[in-house]
Amino acid sequence: MDDPAAGAPAAAVKALSCPSCGGAIEIKAAGYTVTIVCQYCSSVLDVANPDVRVITEYHEAAAALEIPPGTRGTLDGIEWEAIGYMRRSEGGSYPWDEYLLFNPYRGYRWLVTDGRGWSLGEMLTRTPEWSSPSGLFVGGERYEAFFRDTPAQVDYVLGEFYWRVAVGEEVVASTYVRPGWMLSREANGSEINWTLLRLLKPKEMSEAFGVDVPPRSRPPLPHQPSPYHGTIGKVATIGFATLGLLILLLILFSGRGPLLTERMTLPQTGQVQSATFGPITLDGAYQAVSIKARAPALDNAWVDLDYALVDRRTQVSYQAFGVAERYSGRDSEGSWTEGDRSSAIKMATVPAGIYDLVVDASATRWKTNPSAMIWGSAPRTGPEPIEVEIVASTGMTFLSNVIFAGFLILIPLGFMFFRHAAFETSRKGESDFSGTAAQDDEEDE
Amino acid sequence: MNGRLFLYSLWCLGITGAFLAATMYGYSPFADGGRVAPRAGIYGPTHK
Repeated sequence: MDDPAAGAPAAAVKALSCPSCGGAIEIKAAGYTVTIVCQYCSSVLDVANPDVRVITEYHEAAAALEIPPGTRGTLDGIEWEAIGYMRRSEGGSYPWDEYLLFNPYRGYRWLVTDGRGWSLGEMLTRTPEWSSPSGLFVGGERYEAFFRDTPAQVDYVLGEFYWRVAVGEEVVASTYVRPGWMLSREANGSEINWTLLRLLKPKEMSEAFGVDVPPRSRPPLPHQPSPYHGTIGKVATIGFATLGLLILLLILFSGRGPLLTERMTLPQTGQVQSATFGPITLDGAYQAVSIKARAPALDNAWVDLDYALVDRRTQVSYQAFGVAERYSGRDSEGSWTEGDRSSAIKMATVPAGIYDLVVDASATRWKTNPSAMIWGSAPRTGPEPIEVEIVASTGMTFLSNVIFAGFLILIPLGFMFFRHAAFETSRKGESDFSGTAAQDDEEDE
Repeated sequence: MNGRLFLYSLWCLGITGAFLAATMYGYSPFADGGRVAPRAGIYGPTHK
């Protein structure tokens, strides 16, 4: 079934009468066409010889086709005429349609559809360069194995062909795919044919042959590219580059060093002590102010810290609350520690001005008494006071902003990865080489 | 450049712009400043 018209002189058009029904038949590729099926009575005629002979006589009306024989359409800038049609299936199941196209200067092509999309096929004149059980290479491109060797038969035929096609003709077909492309191998007792098919866009088919194609097919065709194919890598690059830029900005706009460092000594009795530190001069139009408190000697106690950053001129106050707590002990499993001896808070959008930092702080000791778990009810023991260092500094950026921005950046990326993975799972679900299909086959056996 | 890529680029650009604006104003939705002190806390270790 090699393409006989490839590189050959242009074919002529020839008219004849069907010996069976007398219908007028026009042979589009006279000189190459061997068999023609009468479009009026479906009888199969041998036109290889000057005396037209009936091979198989039928008296059936021709099937209504999406692309009737004689229809012309332009694909890739080349005008093709549909001259033949075959309906094929795997033993009556999974049917698909194949239309034979002819151009006197370009030879033959195939239009193949199973109702979910159309592909334009060209017979290869070379064999794959390299193959393995999982795929093969043609023209430097890798095709993954999709359908393993399956008998494919001709169920219906109409029009003219360059070989003696007959209903019931059977080949063993296998399929290999890459996004947008399918490689079909068909073998019978005497020859092996390779056909390379390109998935056509719905618009291409509707413009060429006026055929309506569903824009989305479910499940996807074996060689249907994911809607995110070719995009997801670029999207990920943009996303991670943006994330890197934000981290760089975080570093560049980080804090400018401490504005104030002070110490408070607190008795561990829960008694609140107040102190005012300052002045703190903020010269940026707006800035973040961070206040860190650290109590190196804190153990089995907590320190409450109420901060108020008060503008000396306007008396506007910016307030925040921090707590440092640290506990340790020993039980049947050994020693344990919990909590942090330091506390850090950050105030946002503090305008320029001269400020005082007012700190109300108290330290409270904790004992392993359940009643001591509640604020204010801890035994007021532990006379030794504890020292707390308080450092105020200005910083332009918040790590939380970077984390939040990163989350927003990754949401669409994650969504696309999820959709892409779902599409690929659905596409590969039909494959004889997918895990699911292989499992089904084993169960059938 | 396809539509998805263009929209995502715009999205990233918008986030970067918002991040820069937040940096200029020292703003964060997660900042502590301005909060009312949560004085009703329970203190003590959660160990055991």
